[in-house]
Amino acid sequence: MKELVEYMAKLLVDNPDEVEVAEVNATRSVIFELRVAREDMGRVIGKRGRVANAMRSLLRVAAAKEGKRAILEIV
Amino acid sequence: MEGKRRSVEASGGSVDEAVEKALEELGVDKDQVETEVLAEGSRGLLGLGREKAKVRVTLLEPGEPREELEEFEEPAPARADVAEVALEVLRNLLHHMGVQAEVVVREPAGDESLPIVLDVEGDNLGILIGRQGETLRDLQYISRLIVSRKLQRWVNVVVDVGGYKRRRERILTELAERMAKRVMDEGRAVTLEPMPAHERRIVHMALRDYESVRTESTGEGGRRKVVILPKEES
Repeated sequence: MKELVEYMAKLLVDNPDEVEVAEVNATRSVIFELRVAREDMGRVIGKRGRVANAMRSLLRVAAAKEGKRAILEIV
Repeated sequence: MEGKRRSVEASGGSVDEAVEKALEELGVDKDQVETEVLAEGSRGLLGLGREKAKVRVTLLEPGEPREELEEFEEPAPARADVAEVALEVLRNLLHHMGVQAEVVVREPAGDESLPIVLDVEGDNLGILIGRQGETLRDLQYISRLIVSRKLQRWVNVVVDVGGYKRRRERILTELAERMAKRVMDEGRAVTLEPMPAHERRIVHMALRDYESVRTESTGEGGRRKVVILPKEES
C-alpha cells in the first residue's frame, strides 16, 4: 500500500525527492500521511481534490486486497 | 491531428448548470475546455421574464496544453511510445495495488485519431471497476496523469477492464434506442435510472441525431439522470 502511494506521488510531482510517506497503523485501518514539496501540493490534490480522491480510490483497492481499510491524508 | 475544434452550446437554469450539461455532452472535464457565457440568464420576477443561462464550451485541442501541464512543449509522441509508456505505468500501478492481471493493448480498428485502449484481463477484477465504474474511472485518470507527465504532453489513453466499458456502451446504447422508441410511440418523456457522467454521455451521444427526441440531464450529484423527451415541433 505504501509503495502504491509513493509510486503515484513521485510520478505526479516536480520534486520526487521530497515525497515522504509515513504509515500509522491502527487496529483495522492504516493511515498514510503523504508529504510533498509545498509547490507540489496542487499536483497531488488536484482541482476540487480530484487527484487526491482518485489516489484514495486506488489505495482502497490495495487495502481491500489485504483485508484492511486505508486512509490517505495529505499533510 | 485535424485542426477541428469541437464546441457545444448548452442552456440551463444557471451558468453552472449549462456548463455541466455541455461538459457531459463532450465527456470531458472543466479544465479541458474553454467556456464562454452567452447569456447569464435571470430568474425573473415572480416567474416573469425568466431567461435561461446559455454557454458555449469549446474543447481544447488534444495537444493544446491544459493548465496543469502547460509547461509541456514537447512534440506529440508516437503512438507506439504512448502505448509502451502507458503499459508500463498501468502494470506498475496494478502491481503496487496487489492486483494480479495481464494488460493488453488494443488499437481501435482503422482510426488513428481514437485513443489506445489498455484492457486489464484476469479473474475477479470487479474490484477494479467499482460501483458504477467509479474505480475504473479513477484508475484511468491516474494512469493518464502519470503517462502525460512522463511524455511531457497530454495524452489520451483509455483503460478498460475485461471489455467492461465496451459492453456497458453497447448496453446503454441499446437501452437509449429502446427508450427513444417508447418516447416516440407514447409521446411523453422517459426518465432513466441515475448514472455517472461518462454513462450519461453515452446516452446523449446515442440519441443526438434523433429528429423526434432530445435528451437532458436532471437531478444533483449521484442522483443525476437522463431524461428523454419528445422534441417540440418548431
